[in-house]
Amino acid sequence: MASAERPPAALWLASSVLVVYITLPLAALLLVLPPGELLEHLRSPMALRALWLSVKTTLVATLLAVLLGTPLAYLLARFSFRGRDVLDTLVDLPITIPPVVAGVALLLAFGRRGLLGRHLDVLGASVAFTTVAVVMAQLLIASPFFVKAARAGFESVDTRLEAAARTLGASPWRVFWTVTVPLARPALLSGVVLAWARALSEFGATMMFAGNFPGRTQTLTLAVMTALESDLETAVAVSALSLGLALVALVAAKRMAGRWSVPRA
Amino acid sequence: MTRPLAVAHRRPRTLSFRGASSRRATRDPPTRPTRSRVLRLTLVTALVQAATLTGLAARPASAETVRVFAASSLTEAFREIAAAHEAARPGMKVELSFAGTQVLRTQIEQGAPADVFASADLAHSEALARAGLLATPRTFARNALAVVVPAGPARVASLADLARPGVRVVVAGPAVPAGRYTVEALRRLAAPGSLGPGFDARVRANVVSEETNVRAVLSKVVLGEADAGFVYQTDAASAGARVRVLEVPSSVVAEYSIGVVSGAADAAAAEAFVGLVLGERGQAILRRHGFR
Repeated sequence: MASAERPPAALWLASSVLVVYITLPLAALLLVLPPGELLEHLRSPMALRALWLSVKTTLVATLLAVLLGTPLAYLLARFSFRGRDVLDTLVDLPITIPPVVAGVALLLAFGRRGLLGRHLDVLGASVAFTTVAVVMAQLLIASPFFVKAARAGFESVDTRLEAAARTLGASPWRVFWTVTVPLARPALLSGVVLAWARALSEFGATMMFAGNFPGRTQTLTLAVMTALESDLETAVAVSALSLGLALVALVAAKRMAGRWSVPRA
Repeated sequence: MTRPLAVAHRRPRTLSFRGASSRRATRDPPTRPTRSRVLRLTLVTALVQAATLTGLAARPASAETVRVFAASSLTEAFREIAAAHEAARPGMKVELSFAGTQVLRTQIEQGAPADVFASADLAHSEALARAGLLATPRTFARNALAVVVPAGPARVASLADLARPGVRVVVAGPAVPAGRYTVEALRRLAAPGSLGPGFDARVRANVVSEETNVRAVLSKVVLGEADAGFVYQTDAASAGARVRVLEVPSSVVAEYSIGVVSGAADAAAAEAFVGLVLGERGQAILRRHGFR
């Protein structure tokens, strides 16, 4: 529990190093261009197309992460079975592997000559260099963040409350929606925001698997990379925009978590 | 044979902080120093100081290291040249950094600690020289464009196939030298008597990705993801049997240039490396890798 007494000066001092280290580069990003110029560069077609593409793809990827991740998180949280630890590790793996490695892996699986991709290609459905590939890269990298958070959320729900609902005649489906989900909501929401933020910052896997084409596969991060080579101001402006989006997401997540958190006895 | 390309293109000025730039400072409207403004100025000063300090710290104490920033199409050739340089001069160490020429140029403009810059064109090195960041760049190699297609059954059998709808073409981006040579090569192919007007527009409509260096184009083709890619002849050769090469007739010639970066930690050592590249030994290695 956080103490109300004043923290000692030494603790402040020790903490300040990291705080300054985090603040400096972020401040530099916002200070290097005057706000007017920053906005002007954000209105460039490259920045706008990248922003729109990022918004679209990350929303779809996050939605998919929730739809596909919720059953998995519930399975891991509530049931013990052979191979659960293996499954748990497997789901965490995309968090720890370098994203560019994930991109290579996606290519080798879903690329035109990939394990699965070569069969898809015969059917005329190849995904490389399409917006679908962007979403796939984001889903692979971001979904574990939601699964982890959702699993922790489900685990924190007192099973006696669910049992009580069942004795009152509620179906398992109804119990899940009216008891489990509301009680796990803060964790679920923070999982959504974390997964979304990770999808937004996805770079390595996208670059490898989806390529780099404005309006189709050039997301915000790829636009920063591309602009860095020819139009530094736009690169800085898009970086500042990404920083802003991340900040909004974090604040929103904290607020939602605070509003909906349920005091436990 | 054809003339080399020298396309000048717009580059942004180097970024500097407002606190350090008189041009921006004079443009700021005069306002009374509010608290937040003072705070901001303090921050900017701190940032500039921090940047200067790290810039100094980035220079290593050892003078026996040459840091070479080279265009990615030079990868194999420069690795060999670096090994030859190290073998000929015991105690000398060559650090190589490969990327798209335009990436390396940006890095040098932003103060990256490079001693030698080897560009895949003249435009980028001349721009650095104009900015006082590079001593006289000299041409040391030439290269030509080629179209590569994946080995085995391919959807592209001739250059004309590049314009067929649904063909996936990968090129280097517009800031990459190879990308600019590609644009010019396509323009020439669309000339009357060649593949005809509209050819370049149809090929460009088939472009699915603009990579940040020419080697990334090559790997997309080697992996079979792209049906065709525009690379240098030397890149095509480096991929061996994994790709099939379509010659690009009357193609543009890429001119590679090299120079010592101003403020190199050890200018003499950097000069020595440039000398090797321009000398008989280096030229022989470059020729063996397909450069002319």
